[in-house]
Amino acid sequence: MDYLVAVLLPQLLHGLVFGAALGLLALGLTVIFGLLGVMNFAHGELYMLGAYAGIVVVGVTHSFWVALIVAPLLVGVIGAVTEVATLRPLYRREPLYGLILTFGLALAFREAVRQIFGGDMRRILPPIPGSTPLLGMTYPNYRLFLLAISSVLLLAIWLFFTKTRAGIVVRAAVQDAEMLDGLGVDVPRVFTLTFAGAAALAAVAGLLLAPIFTVYPQMGVEMILLAFIVVILGGMGSITGSVVAAFIIGIAQSLLTLWMNPQRVAIAIFGIMIVVLVVRPRGLFGREGVLE
Amino acid sequence: MSNRTLAGAAVALAALAAVPALPFMSKYYLLLAFDALLFGAIAMSLDLLIGYTGLVSFGHAAFFGLGAYATAVCLERKIVSLWICLAAAVVVVGLYALLVSYFATARRGIYFALLTLIFAEVVYTFFRYTQTFGGSDGIQGVPAAELAPGVALDTPLKNYYLVLVFLALAWLTCRTLVGSHFGRVLVAIRENEDRARFLGYNVTRYKMGVCLVSALLTGVAGALYPGRSGFATPDLMLWTVSGEFIIMVMIGGLGTLVGPVIGGVFFVVLQEKVSSYVDWYFIVIGLVLVLIVLFMPKGLLGFRRVQGFAQWRSGQ
Repeated sequence: MDYLVAVLLPQLLHGLVFGAALGLLALGLTVIFGLLGVMNFAHGELYMLGAYAGIVVVGVTHSFWVALIVAPLLVGVIGAVTEVATLRPLYRREPLYGLILTFGLALAFREAVRQIFGGDMRRILPPIPGSTPLLGMTYPNYRLFLLAISSVLLLAIWLFFTKTRAGIVVRAAVQDAEMLDGLGVDVPRVFTLTFAGAAALAAVAGLLLAPIFTVYPQMGVEMILLAFIVVILGGMGSITGSVVAAFIIGIAQSLLTLWMNPQRVAIAIFGIMIVVLVVRPRGLFGREGVLE
Repeated sequence: MSNRTLAGAAVALAALAAVPALPFMSKYYLLLAFDALLFGAIAMSLDLLIGYTGLVSFGHAAFFGLGAYATAVCLERKIVSLWICLAAAVVVVGLYALLVSYFATARRGIYFALLTLIFAEVVYTFFRYTQTFGGSDGIQGVPAAELAPGVALDTPLKNYYLVLVFLALAWLTCRTLVGSHFGRVLVAIRENEDRARFLGYNVTRYKMGVCLVSALLTGVAGALYPGRSGFATPDLMLWTVSGEFIIMVMIGGLGTLVGPVIGGVFFVVLQEKVSSYVDWYFIVIGLVLVLIVLFMPKGLLGFRRVQGFAQWRSGQ
């Protein structure tokens, strides 16, 4: 019982917190994939840009809460411009070109940030200090807040996709963009706005995790593979799948660290991924035959 | 292979062999030339996959790094014969490549890219955290390999000629391969995999075959690397390195073999020279890649592929 409260429970909570933030990142990635057929290598850099934009805004306004609104908007604009300038010409080309193109974008973004902010580690102080006694242990308030706000956001996105017309249009575009175009919807605009939205979500994830992790130009590189893994496990293009998979991976990673050293955990997760890709490439919730 | 091609290759080889005789060739430039040719050869072997077969491997850094580690481990244990080092690299890389290609070739397109990426990341993680192989520091300060007992490859000049010979042999291998029946089947797979399968070709076996060749060439290139640098580190296998290999191929031109060699040389020299003046080099290279994908998807020399294909059909 002591073991449960002192070791297992905090680790489980860590996993939930991380999984929720990972969900925000993976959700955008999977929607972009569903819409554009592009596995966005630059998504990790959008996540990183979110954290740096946050640092800038916090520096100017001294408020984390303003940053949480403004930084994602800034990154969303960057996303929209990027989509129009580079991805739009690739709509009808092979998806692999998108992979290579976004790899180039990632390089450029990463280096630009290193030039502007330098390569050293930075921190954002948690806006909510202290910790709360919870189920016989104490848990940092900020992490509880992170879990809450991520869950609220995920719920809001779910409502957006199921209840609003705009959300249904996006889902329709994932399903069959050509048909949607035929029905008179301005599909390129849907693509651009969705990309911007996904970029903003990645930025939110980056900023929310910044007080827990450190902020440095390579932070996106470390995250993007995990986000890819989540998207594949959930099924490429599946919105529900990516959220479920994000929690699975988040919790699995933090529970496995109890029994294995971190590199074994990484290898174990890669191993799971290889099995999924080989045996069931559409993942948990993906449609059969998508780019297989 | 036509006489003209062979003649051109001989001229190129002679010109490259004369490079160390240039008046300004210091030790620094010889090492730079070594890197340029080594990465040129790697880009060429990757072109077999991307350009000819249409398979984008995002995991070639693992083949490169495994080759480098195989040599470094041998040298560290005072096994200095170059041939034993190379044999070790071939065995290790070959076994790993068999495993990866067995699983990866079962999938196409983006799934192939991701599978190769994840496999490579497993290898990276393993070496990064295994203290037997030096952990994140890798294996440092290994002695020079010996071509024969007493003939050590201990100068930049000797290493340069070694890599030049390797490049020539690798080019011959690739060139023969793409000109053969095997190579034509690879192009058929690139153009339409299902049709190639319906024509009765065992597509998976062809894909595994070309993966193996490409991986082994990259692995041998990796095995030559510690001879120049004296080290093998896990950073050699980072997935971003695989991305750089792809950039080299894209700069040079898909499906041209010579193009990626030039792309590799261009990349290495530009990185070295430009980065010493402006340190925002990677912004440039990133944007160059974006522009190439947008406006020249076959790469700078890629137009030659179309021409080459026409020649193929007329049976030359």
